[in-house]
Amino acid sequence: MDEMDLPQMKKEVESLKYQLAFKREKSSKTVTDMVKWIEEGVPEDPFLNPELMKNNPWVEKGKCVLL
Amino acid sequence: MGEMEELRKEAENLKDQITEARKVVQDATLPEVAAGTAVVGRVQLKTRKTLRGHLAKIYAMHWGADTKLCVSASQDGKLIVWDTLTTNKVNAIPLKSSWVMTCAYAPSGNLVACGGLDNMCSIYNLKGKDGNVKVMRELAAHTGYLSCCRFLSDSEIITSSGDCTCVLWDIETGTQKTIFAGHMGDCMSLAVSPDFKTFISGACDFTAKLWDIREATCRQTFSGHESDINAIGFFPNGNAVITGSDDATCKLYDLRADQELITYQDSSIMCGVTSLAPSLSGRLLLAGYDDFNVNIWDTLKGERVGVLAGHDNRVSCIGVSSDGMACCTGSWDSFLKIWN
Repeated sequence: MDEMDLPQMKKEVESLKYQLAFKREKSSKTVTDMVKWIEEGVPEDPFLNPELMKNNPWVEKGKCVLL
Repeated sequence: MGEMEELRKEAENLKDQITEARKVVQDATLPEVAAGTAVVGRVQLKTRKTLRGHLAKIYAMHWGADTKLCVSASQDGKLIVWDTLTTNKVNAIPLKSSWVMTCAYAPSGNLVACGGLDNMCSIYNLKGKDGNVKVMRELAAHTGYLSCCRFLSDSEIITSSGDCTCVLWDIETGTQKTIFAGHMGDCMSLAVSPDFKTFISGACDFTAKLWDIREATCRQTFSGHESDINAIGFFPNGNAVITGSDDATCKLYDLRADQELITYQDSSIMCGVTSLAPSLSGRLLLAGYDDFNVNIWDTLKGERVGVLAGHDNRVSCIGVSSDGMACCTGSWDSFLKIWN
């Protein structure tokens, strides 16, 4: 990692001020929303529901494949 | 130098204030909220196809938006567009420079891009009039290797580089529209948000940064990793970021609360993470490691729920198709595998 020069340091301070101003939401809300979003999506997730992969396009149906 | 010292102190002060601001909104943890969620049980995916044809290490792959085609880049000097269903090679594009480190498929399916130690991002038109695939544009300005690139559209692409910057390019004119500077180490990976308004970068300064593409600003910086971040991705709904590092862990960062939620690690895993991709729902995280395996993590519980073992060398890249139906892994063993 390089050391910063003066102009870079000034930009870094400006950037940090901007980042500090970010409107943070309470994690009780954001994490609850995220868990809810995931749980609602799980039934549609092919890797978690074998029934969704019944017509798996990557699996040969018959014994022979026409090239 | 007095001014430098003052600025350094101001920077440290601001970082402390950010840490405080994060603590203020931390009134719940992921383990607490997910305590009532049912476990997923063992996840077993099988290799359905092996894509053979590259003659050297594969460094990158990217699914097309149509979910059946994908592009891969190898240091045999070729970009190959594959029909993953038939394993046929739709295009085999010879590259000027064989030291390729990244490739990308445009959402439209019309273009692919690649780059590496040549410090350039080369754009190829797959749908040229005479059927030949040709270089459409060579985007040159980075002073370091090209580690990653992702299309916003057929006219804009974002690149990350070993010169510590990321750049938004106008493909038509071949010029830099915006330079995103701020990382203090090589930028290794980038990902674009589902709404195309922001992107994230992971770097060798151990941090991940979220950038506003149009405002050209760094909105948030995430620390916590103890080594280079090699891989980065957005959580499917765009509200969280997942990172993979040489410190052998992956981390989940909440964008709205601006903090780390959980670390995916196991004492038996001691090698670096090279690549990662979430499943469609975000409940699973598939991560490729230097030890030739892909570990599948339950993102809510933090536990390993599966392993994809099948490559004979490092897994260098991984991707889940946009419909969540298949996972593709690429390896230094020169093969790509499709799993589901």
